[in-house]
Amino acid sequence: MTITLYDFELSGNCYKLRLLMSILGVPYDIVPVDFFPGREHKSDAFLRLNPFGQLPVLRDDDLTLSDSGAILAYLARKYDASGRWFPEAPDILAQVLRWHAVADDITSTASAARLALSFDYPFDVAACQKGAHRIFRLIDEHLWFGEKAGRDWLCAPDHPTTADIACFPYIMLSEEGGISRQDYPALRRWTDRVRRIPGFVVMSGIFPAGPAKQD
Amino acid sequence: MPLSLSDPTWYPIASSEDLPFRHVYQGQLLGRELAVWRADDGTLNVWENRCLHRGVRLSIGINEGQELKCQYHGWRYANGSAGCTYIPAHPADAPARRIENRKYPVREAFGLVWSAANDDQPFKPFPDAEAKAWFPLRPLPVNASPDDVVAGLARLAPDDQPADMLPGMAVRLETAIYFVQPVDSGRSVIRGLLAEKPANEIAALRHYNEMLTKLRDRLEKAAARKPAPEPLQPSFEKVSVDLATMPDIAIPRGTTFPVLVKRKWQSADGVIGFELADRDGKHLPTFQPGAHIDVHLPNGLVRQYSITNGPGELMSYVIGVKQESASKGGSKALVETVREGDVLAISEPRNNFPLRRDATRTVLIAGGIGITPLLSMARFLDKSSLPYELHYFVRSGETAAFRSELEVLHGEVRTHMGIGRKAIRKEVEAILGLHEFANHVYICGPGPMLEMVQDAAAALGWPDEAIHFEYFRNDKTIDASSSFEIELARSAMTLHVPAGKTVLETMREAGLTVPSSCEQGACGTCLTGVIEGEVDHQDVYLNKSEKASNSCMMTCVSRARSHRLVLDI
Repeated sequence: MTITLYDFELSGNCYKLRLLMSILGVPYDIVPVDFFPGREHKSDAFLRLNPFGQLPVLRDDDLTLSDSGAILAYLARKYDASGRWFPEAPDILAQVLRWHAVADDITSTASAARLALSFDYPFDVAACQKGAHRIFRLIDEHLWFGEKAGRDWLCAPDHPTTADIACFPYIMLSEEGGISRQDYPALRRWTDRVRRIPGFVVMSGIFPAGPAKQD
Repeated sequence: MPLSLSDPTWYPIASSEDLPFRHVYQGQLLGRELAVWRADDGTLNVWENRCLHRGVRLSIGINEGQELKCQYHGWRYANGSAGCTYIPAHPADAPARRIENRKYPVREAFGLVWSAANDDQPFKPFPDAEAKAWFPLRPLPVNASPDDVVAGLARLAPDDQPADMLPGMAVRLETAIYFVQPVDSGRSVIRGLLAEKPANEIAALRHYNEMLTKLRDRLEKAAARKPAPEPLQPSFEKVSVDLATMPDIAIPRGTTFPVLVKRKWQSADGVIGFELADRDGKHLPTFQPGAHIDVHLPNGLVRQYSITNGPGELMSYVIGVKQESASKGGSKALVETVREGDVLAISEPRNNFPLRRDATRTVLIAGGIGITPLLSMARFLDKSSLPYELHYFVRSGETAAFRSELEVLHGEVRTHMGIGRKAIRKEVEAILGLHEFANHVYICGPGPMLEMVQDAAAALGWPDEAIHFEYFRNDKTIDASSSFEIELARSAMTLHVPAGKTVLETMREAGLTVPSSCEQGACGTCLTGVIEGEVDHQDVYLNKSEKASNSCMMTCVSRARSHRLVLDI
């Protein structure tokens, strides 16, 4: 197998795939795409790979895939022997897909605010920030009651899934879009847990957490 | 009522469960951002949310258990004192002791963490606080002014049973109390406590969360119709220039403070442990691994003892004192006359033996009582999960001190018992091996052993800057027979130093205030820059290359080979 990731270093959506492949120990090559300022993702060559003109794109031998959430599911099903990252059980699978959708909402709010402030995109910053806070409040509530019920992760009680990977990057990068996480303590604790998953890697703007307490 | 930055009221700023180990909580009170963290020993820290170096938020830093590490340039701050303990850009130096972050008072009670803008008021529990087993609700941040939130909570009361308004922005409604944390002029957090644990906890938490969420929606809608209040403008104290620069090693002596002898015990044959604590139960000043304190003894002598503590352990200092038969009266006075409950004067910690945290291999070699500073170093390295080896040489017939403290370390700790003089060198050579990049050795023990290890290391290719040592005292016979002139460049003074008198004494007689401590060339306090002339080094503080550089000297014992020395003083 030869995996190639069409990647932009500062993209949270590309980072989702780098993160999961690092955790699963899957080797891959990178083809850098000049998303900003070159807008190479709208070039003819790139549109032939993904007509939607969006990063990331992943090629696994002859197969070409796009959409970060779909690729997370593909990588987990194909390369995760434990079967935990994208579980078969219908109840958990439904929740994982539900949170993949939340991840897309985070992209259209928190990530959009970041694109507006850092990459000159003509978005309504205030509206994006307000939308992100609305979602972060719901996630914080979900995680707070999750902790009370002994569930440390978004879906499955005792292990992370692709849902956690999908939601993590643009939550962690929210400050770059002027969105503070001060009001979301349970969400901040969850980001510590994600950053302690064995195989975790960082990207620009995302810092590591120290090791957990050893007894 | 407008909020005041100097409001001394205690407010809840977090729930206890918001502060698991190894997490940094981001909080805010009266406009001031806070970094709040729980150390591994349970201590809670409420600090201004910025690193003194470049102002980066400490809430994105790393809680290492007993120290908080800034994410930006890795400055470490100690649990309890918020004093800086390590600066990676200056790995071989000890940070200035004055680098200390701003702290706020903290108390953990009734499932909540409380703080205040200043220390003007003691913590006072709310009415009835002690009588109930309080059960904390999910805190709810609200984008509305604290006064409006208090009023909104009061309106939840039924008409025939008006809400009970408590001091400090709190409202009692039936069996629940709601505290309003004034985050800023337009932002609040509702922190509720139920008077007892409900039968179905999750259902109760859901119920109150839903009720408060509805209240929040109403309050935020109303707040959106009003002009947003001006946020509070807390001032940030400027970091002084001397904090931002590296310290002089020489720190004037004389600032002592009293400590209580909390515990005195026999740690091993001939080694007595002393635990020294603040008399009012406050934390002691920040120290770094390798640091020592001056202990002022009842008989008037001043002696230096290394602190054995690990990172962030500031509630007391533990020192080890050797009962020496040939003691000059220092250790003897401590061991024989000082008892538990006595008060001693000590100096703030000084560090002439700083530990680097950027080595790929750290070898700690202790001889006898020399274990004390190395125990502290091992504890720091242990907590940061850095690799190290600790070799503890003990004479036959002696027992190892601080055994239980050594047993809990995770690194490679070996005790070498009763090895003969010649065999020791072989053993040390085998331990050290040839020098490799980023290897460092730290040695503390009796004079002859220090010289032997330095010698052995040098022969194996270890450069001077990789060999770190600390003498307890200078065993050399000082030759004070020379006489010479000293020119004090900055004081515009020329003095004659006669035979039998030290440079330090001569300067003091001429009216200069010069810091010193051990006055036997071991502690480094009187280090002085040399501009011209050849120094007759007689100290044990400087290493070979420092001595050869002829650029500094210890004025308490060293003299001149040339007839004149020009000093930077």
